[in-house]
Amino acid sequence: MQDFDLIETPENVKLQRRLAGIGSRFIAGLLDNLLIALMYIVLLLLLLILGINILSHMGISTALEMWVLAIMIFVAFLIYWGYFVLFEMLTNGQSPGKKYMKIRVVMLEGGGISLNSIAIRNLLRVVDAIGLYAVAGITMFVTHKVQRLGDLAAGTVVISEEIPDYSARYDKKKRVLDDEAITSTALEATGLKPEEYRLLHNYWLRREQLTIEARSQILPKLLQPILVRMGQSISGKSLTFLEEYVEGLMDKARNAEKEMKREANDSGAKK
Amino acid sequence: MTPARFLKTRTSAWDRLEALIKKASPRGVRALTDSELRELTLLYPAVAVDVARARMYKIDPNTQNRINQLAISAHGLLYRRKSVKSIQVILTFFRDTYPRLFRRLWPYTALAIAVFTIGFIGAYISTVLTPSNAYLFVPGQLDLTDNESGLSSKDISERFRLIPKPPMAAGIMANNISVAFNAFALGITAGIGTCYIIIYNAMMLGGFAAHFSNHNLAYDFWSFIIPHGILEIFAILVSAAAGLKLGLSFAIPGRLKRSASLRIGAHDSVLLVIGTVPMFVVAGLIESVITPSYIPGFVKIALGVTLASLTIGYLILAGRRPVGHGQTYKLNVPEN
Repeated sequence: MQDFDLIETPENVKLQRRLAGIGSRFIAGLLDNLLIALMYIVLLLLLLILGINILSHMGISTALEMWVLAIMIFVAFLIYWGYFVLFEMLTNGQSPGKKYMKIRVVMLEGGGISLNSIAIRNLLRVVDAIGLYAVAGITMFVTHKVQRLGDLAAGTVVISEEIPDYSARYDKKKRVLDDEAITSTALEATGLKPEEYRLLHNYWLRREQLTIEARSQILPKLLQPILVRMGQSISGKSLTFLEEYVEGLMDKARNAEKEMKREANDSGAKK
Repeated sequence: MTPARFLKTRTSAWDRLEALIKKASPRGVRALTDSELRELTLLYPAVAVDVARARMYKIDPNTQNRINQLAISAHGLLYRRKSVKSIQVILTFFRDTYPRLFRRLWPYTALAIAVFTIGFIGAYISTVLTPSNAYLFVPGQLDLTDNESGLSSKDISERFRLIPKPPMAAGIMANNISVAFNAFALGITAGIGTCYIIIYNAMMLGGFAAHFSNHNLAYDFWSFIIPHGILEIFAILVSAAAGLKLGLSFAIPGRLKRSASLRIGAHDSVLLVIGTVPMFVVAGLIESVITPSYIPGFVKIALGVTLASLTIGYLILAGRRPVGHGQTYKLNVPEN
């Protein structure tokens, strides 16, 4: 089981798909099946209202009742075998439950799902559904691309279309500024050139993933030209000192940025 | 170009693509106007390239992700197979494609028929030799020796006559098509599940047939079964053949990777099942209307045999025209 899947497009670009996990697919399936159950209940209620007894053919007397019952049997059949087929056909691979979970069925090789594949994956659903979808669950768990039997046969995968927010991966408080957000005011406050700032910023974000040895090797190399330009010497400075120096620069940039934003807000409010 | 400049110049394209994708998301590209569709086809390759450029510039992961997601969604919208909608396609399917497919996969149908025959003969012989074996295959209430409370064959027809025809036809069709679909789906168990369905039905029919024959009611029985039964059982066996194809392509992949073999087998066989649906509709109509009618037995039998022969004749003979002039696929090159 993996989270990501690479496909290569005709443009020779490798795109990364996020595969839908067992959890979100299970919830989507649950929602779809609840919806199906609801449809059956409506159907049964209709029969009840019309006073048709489905348990005995003696309950049917008029021709109208006969045809109503025939149509209802047809509709029930259609719901059972056609619910997923119809929705995946009309919405390019998204049954209502999948839509709610922001997941979609696509072809293994990329691209929208074909009719054949829709038919295969939903015919095989009856096997996947054995033991309350236990077969599907086990298959999804052991296959690389989280596929159930129907997906394996149809050559489809279910992908997540939710755009994940990776900003949580960083320490939000210490996170400084994005490349695009660095303004000239902030740069002036630090006295760095844009590429110097980016370099130090990247170091700052990643430093906790590096060992102390690596940091004490890298940082002096990064800082030397900057310090030389500013007329300071690097020799004899400890790693702690250098990192504090970098932190100071990052703080300066952040504060300058904040200051500017507040001023902009103030003037905006005055207007 | 700096990352900042890259972001600055390209953001508008991403926003536009996002808007188009959002619009097309519920129903596919049909939801777009012509000019929007053209825009989408132009935007997509550019944004796909942006994915690679964003990776090169190492811009922040959130934006990289967004572009990647946009490209994936647009790719899913644009690269799809031609959708099947027109009546013409359905006509072509039944005129050429389906009979050809049936002939290409005939060994699987032959296999299904063989398994069915073995099950049928086995149950038949064992019931003829030991009449009490019938109750292995036949529900107990169908006790033909007790004419007081039991049902004779005539009673069966009588009972069928009481059921209103429209719901009966619908129920029979729904039930049989479900059996056929299940026979196909269970093929995924390397064909074992499909064989189970075939043998189960074969033994039931064999047991019934021998049971009635033991009580000298063979003619009544067959005049009740054959009118709809030949076509119905044949259609179920064709679906089972598709299931066997699916299962064997998985069990015996040959030189292919098992997963690839399964995929190809499934795509090969699924249409064989879909094409049986009309057979079940016809068989269901006959079972609910003609089978319980007062038409003499031999006429009903003749009708059933004729119908099945026509179906099999169609499968053997249709779609044999050679692909000649005007039949080859023409490329639609616009003439300027």
